[in-house]
Amino acid sequence: MTGTMSKSQIQKIFSQNEAYLSLIIVAYSILVTSLNPSFLSFENLLDLGKSSASMGIMAIGVFIVLLSGGIDMSFTAIAISGQYIAANVLIASGVDNIYFAFLISCIVGLGLGAINGLIISYFKIPTFIVTLGTLNVFHGILLTVVGTKAVNSAQLPDCFKKFGATNVFALVKPEGGSYGLSIFTVIFIAIALLTWFILTYTQLGRGIYAIGGDMEAAKRAGLNIFNIQFFIYCYVGILAGIAGVLHVSLIRYSNPTYLVGSELSVIAPVVLGGTRITGGSGTIIGTLLGVAMITLLNKSLILIGLSSFWQEFFTGIIVAISVSLSSYQIRKNMMI
Amino acid sequence: MFDHYVKHSRTTILFVMMLGAFIVMSIFLPDKFLSLSNFQSIASQIPEFGFLAIAIMLAMLTGGIDLSIISTANLAGVGAALILTRQLGDYGEAYIIFLAIISAIGISLLCGFINGLLIAYIKVPAILATLGTMSIFSGIAIVITKGYGIQGFPEKFLYIGSGTLFAVPMPMVIFIVCILLMSLILNRTSFGFNLYMLGSNPTAARFSGINNRGILIRTYVLSGLCAGLASIIMISRVNSIRPGYGSAYLLQAILVCVLGGVDPSGGYGNISGLVMGIIVLQILQSGFNILSFSPFFKNVVWGLMLIIVMILNFYSSRYTQKVRSKLKVE
Repeated sequence: MTGTMSKSQIQKIFSQNEAYLSLIIVAYSILVTSLNPSFLSFENLLDLGKSSASMGIMAIGVFIVLLSGGIDMSFTAIAISGQYIAANVLIASGVDNIYFAFLISCIVGLGLGAINGLIISYFKIPTFIVTLGTLNVFHGILLTVVGTKAVNSAQLPDCFKKFGATNVFALVKPEGGSYGLSIFTVIFIAIALLTWFILTYTQLGRGIYAIGGDMEAAKRAGLNIFNIQFFIYCYVGILAGIAGVLHVSLIRYSNPTYLVGSELSVIAPVVLGGTRITGGSGTIIGTLLGVAMITLLNKSLILIGLSSFWQEFFTGIIVAISVSLSSYQIRKNMMI
Repeated sequence: MFDHYVKHSRTTILFVMMLGAFIVMSIFLPDKFLSLSNFQSIASQIPEFGFLAIAIMLAMLTGGIDLSIISTANLAGVGAALILTRQLGDYGEAYIIFLAIISAIGISLLCGFINGLLIAYIKVPAILATLGTMSIFSGIAIVITKGYGIQGFPEKFLYIGSGTLFAVPMPMVIFIVCILLMSLILNRTSFGFNLYMLGSNPTAARFSGINNRGILIRTYVLSGLCAGLASIIMISRVNSIRPGYGSAYLLQAILVCVLGGVDPSGGYGNISGLVMGIIVLQILQSGFNILSFSPFFKNVVWGLMLIIVMILNFYSSRYTQKVRSKLKVE
């Protein structure tokens, strides 16, 4: 029945969604700024862009998975595996090069993602169950085989710290010191553009939308479901690997128990951004707006006088409300 | 006729697995595994975890899943703990215990009802609805307790978790009564029948006059109730509650359901299979404890088992289909 809905109608609904979300972001920023004027400074905005990059890159991965009608719970384990293994290899080998760190982390991510992809596409097991299993397997193997000891700031190779402080351009503050646009934000935007390009202009990307919309129809249209699903989970793995390196460069500390358990805070921005929860439609702009909204909320809870204990509650409320709205919209459209 | 055979072969396989696990443990760890204290500890751990597994199974039978059970148990436990430690007013001991149990059950029913509303009326996919409410419920528990634990309950309340009735641990008695009731509900009531119908084909169920929404709501309320019962036993056994307590149970509960032959896409699974799955897992668990495996390594084993069981199910259903089509030809 949804198939009869014309394309312009879908676009209308989702551009509406994004417009609402932008409006909410602006209104919320004004509210927070009126409570705490230091919030809406250019410096703070650039800082938000930097600290949201790692979460945002993982969110793009989750976005693609949701688009294809699946769900991934294991990306946090992949990100922390990539990060922790890269940090340890760099220390052990003495090579102090950030490109090498990215290479290792992405290879780990690709390998683990490929395992997910193979199991899901070959055995047709529900994606939630596979990735819940691999979440525990990947993380458990990391902690058992590689180690449980955190790499502290003194041990961490300098390239991570240098990379974390790299700015594309720098501005000097009137009271001294400088700030600028972090390379993190640039990488984040580049990945968003690349993903947008793949989804919009390649056959593979259209295939992702197609299997999310109707798996059976996509199969009959002659799409290679196996290849598409395999690609999706490999891509998510690589993105998680990149996010892992950004994460350690930001906090200058690699603890193998970090990140795992925060899956929902990455899924939240994606569903908030209007990605249809049963797959098949959603836009990357929506996901980026979702990331912006969740980052704003997390950073401002303390500014508006609520303790950080409220964070989990708010994340849950946001997920529940946005999936409810999305489901309600789908039903309304089906009735028309 | 053939379906009957398949159903029974599955139960037989599980029974053999259970026996196998038991024999292997007995041969390799005779003095530590085959001891009364070990069996008592197994028997006292099965119930809290078994209730959570039943909660997941009920949701799975409808083709959904309930990820919020641990958070529901936590929130119900925090509610009961506040009353038990007299933070909400001082009354007589018996009255406080009664009130605590009632409020734990009430909270868990309410949590289940919220899940049911989201899933049945707003038609949110169960996985995302319960993922959201999972965060909401545990978020409330964290805000109430500020992340700290609550401990020190009245002596008489601890009897539920650590007392014995004719040498059988009290939680086990409660659990046995509940699984008997539950299999009665699933196998002998119209609600149970409709639940299976809804799980195997929701559209067909609706057109045969089944009130799908009502069934879904009741299922998630029942699932919440099981989580509440698990929470009462849990806080009484360890004499404390802390938000996040028991989070490792989620993976294990899903594993037990799959192991016990519950189909995650709905419509198939029974209590006897689930109970055998629980026993297999618990035997392995006690073996791992004796061998002092780290919790991380246990998670590796549980995760691997979950995937392997699903892969085996994939092959067995393929085989069944082949045999079935052959039978048709003949």
